[in-house]
Amino acid sequence: MLRGWLSRFLPLAGALFLGAAAAVAAEGPRPNIVFILADDVGFTDIEPYGSEIHTPTLSALAEEGLRFSNFHTAANCAPSRAMLLTGVNNHLAGVPNIPELLTPVQRQAENYQGVLSHRVVTVASLLEASGYHTYLAGKWHLGSAPDQLPSARGFERTFALMDSGADNWEQRPYLAIYDEANWFADGERTTLPEDFYSSEFLVDKTLEFIEEGLGDGRPFFAYLPFQAVHLPVQAPREYTERYLGTYDAGWDALREARRARAQARGVIPPEAPMVRMESTADWDSLDAERQRFEAKRMAVYAGMLEAMDFHLGRLVAFLKARGLFENTIFVFTSDNGPEMRGPANPHGVIASRMATDLGYDQSYERLGERGSYNSISPSFASAAASPFAYYKFHVGEGGMRVPLIIANVAGQERGAVVDAFTWATDIAPTLLAAAGVSPPEGRFGGRPVLPMSGKNLISVLRGEASAAYGPEESIGYELTGHGVLFQGAYKARRHAPPAGDGSWALYNIVQDPGETEDLSAKEPERLARMVAAYEAFEVSHGVQPIPPGYSQIGQLASNMFVARLREPLLTVLLTALVLLAAAGWLRRGRSS
Amino acid sequence: MKKLLTGVLGLFAVLFVSYGVRWMIFPGGIAPEFGLQLGDGLGLSSLLGDLGAFFLTLGLCLASALLTGRRLWFYPPAMLLLFAALGRTLAWLLHGAAFAVPMIAVELLVGGLILLGARTLAERD
Repeated sequence: MLRGWLSRFLPLAGALFLGAAAAVAAEGPRPNIVFILADDVGFTDIEPYGSEIHTPTLSALAEEGLRFSNFHTAANCAPSRAMLLTGVNNHLAGVPNIPELLTPVQRQAENYQGVLSHRVVTVASLLEASGYHTYLAGKWHLGSAPDQLPSARGFERTFALMDSGADNWEQRPYLAIYDEANWFADGERTTLPEDFYSSEFLVDKTLEFIEEGLGDGRPFFAYLPFQAVHLPVQAPREYTERYLGTYDAGWDALREARRARAQARGVIPPEAPMVRMESTADWDSLDAERQRFEAKRMAVYAGMLEAMDFHLGRLVAFLKARGLFENTIFVFTSDNGPEMRGPANPHGVIASRMATDLGYDQSYERLGERGSYNSISPSFASAAASPFAYYKFHVGEGGMRVPLIIANVAGQERGAVVDAFTWATDIAPTLLAAAGVSPPEGRFGGRPVLPMSGKNLISVLRGEASAAYGPEESIGYELTGHGVLFQGAYKARRHAPPAGDGSWALYNIVQDPGETEDLSAKEPERLARMVAAYEAFEVSHGVQPIPPGYSQIGQLASNMFVARLREPLLTVLLTALVLLAAAGWLRRGRSS
Repeated sequence: MKKLLTGVLGLFAVLFVSYGVRWMIFPGGIAPEFGLQLGDGLGLSSLLGDLGAFFLTLGLCLASALLTGRRLWFYPPAMLLLFAALGRTLAWLLHGAAFAVPMIAVELLVGGLILLGARTLAERD
């Protein structure tokens, strides 16, 4: 028993010592940290990046700090969260994809469980061990077993959603793969209040946690992963109504307007060209009624984002009122680009059936309100990612390049745009450095852990360095057979079928972030070097192949089918077996 | 009449066995139907073991009664259900539990049907 106690205590004590030592080395009081993660927010979805959507809180934070114009995450949710929280590549962190899209064969690999591995340590664990209060209010989606809950991964107080998403108005699943919306508070299953609206409630919880922890002199780390603007896209009516009429000119006009504003704000180069996605429909071919409906779908989306910003503003106001704002670092980003899985026609047979099966209404009048299921179509999703190509689940810039704002790091520059390439794994080491906490070196909490591979961005924030990565350093990424390698200004990109033909293309994403000109014919040697580096990445990171004919939608449907029918089918089978065994036993007894 | 009673009790036997299987193999799905939360440690062990055994015994004794026609097999399931109804009532009266009218009603009804089966369906003692 003593041995067990020592094995748990000694590493913690060591970590505390190291953390404290590092903290002492830092100048002044240790900063508080608020890490805000929006869900599926596209590159030009917020005002500082060229959006028409009113986000004054984020604009103010952008003025206080820096906007990154070349920041990339994974192309979908949980892999990004794993990298953001651990500083380790998602394939090594156990989250190569969301569990909902993994195949049974892939799941046989240790690093393909779709939940955060115990080989990595979260920034929350490290900060907690160094004396920080650590809070989480929002979506977790990195594992729901007892040892995978955020309360077991470094968060002292939590109110967390385990699923990929959920209703914003009530405790209700948004996909048939879930029996219910799985919310947990401090490690225990919990229920939502009657007056729940996600953005408001999550900020309220964050305020409650921070308030409770004030007074003991310890700094806090508050992780605030909003549900906005993940499916279902829902907003209070007053927010939606502010955007009625805003989108009446359609998606092409919006995509163009956002490109122009993004250029004016300096987050993309002047005259950066863009492609028109094949999935973008012809606005003019829609009848007036359908145009009105599509415009309202997007108005709800805008309202949901503005509501998120409003409630974030309450958090900022609270910190200012308590005199904590100046010493609080803010990081705002999105987990990936905009969602394009909203049906092109929500009143089509399949889309209507899915919404109806979940008990949702899709009428124009109630769109986005309680009991209404809303989304945006691939066409407006492409506008949300303007001026980039593709969107979430795809490895075009639209799926992977997202806004990043960092404010209030000691000594950092203000109000400017950083165009250095940066990657999701860079956030955790940057936060640790700002807090004066050492990254893990070999072991943490009594077990071996992987080192962080991300870069500390402090020198970039302070204007002491113009780049975080050298021109020959490469970053690999894979999702369901789609492959990417970033190197300097270049990006090699491969979309597996059915999204692409599996061949590699080469882009200069600094000059051409819209990925309009494939340079593979002009620079074949560079592409060959980058593809070789990507293949080495696949081997070193344990990337598992996808089976022939794999499609994300098909696998999701298959996993949904299995999840829904596995239990009833096995119950019927086992019941029959038990009854047959009993009948056989009785017959044998009778005959003997 | 006898065929109808045999059919109804047979369906309940299958249902109870399936409940036993679910408690032992898929407890997460059935626990909320009984207003229960899965705990951990010894509590989880007791919950799954005891409730699984309860429903398997209930269902298999009832199936045995119908298959063999022996009166003796009818009594254990009837006793289990009627004692369960009694326990629920005492829990309400003495311990502040909810008065689970639908569940008590089902237990009394099915327990009564099994006793009726013992009188009308049993061919041997």
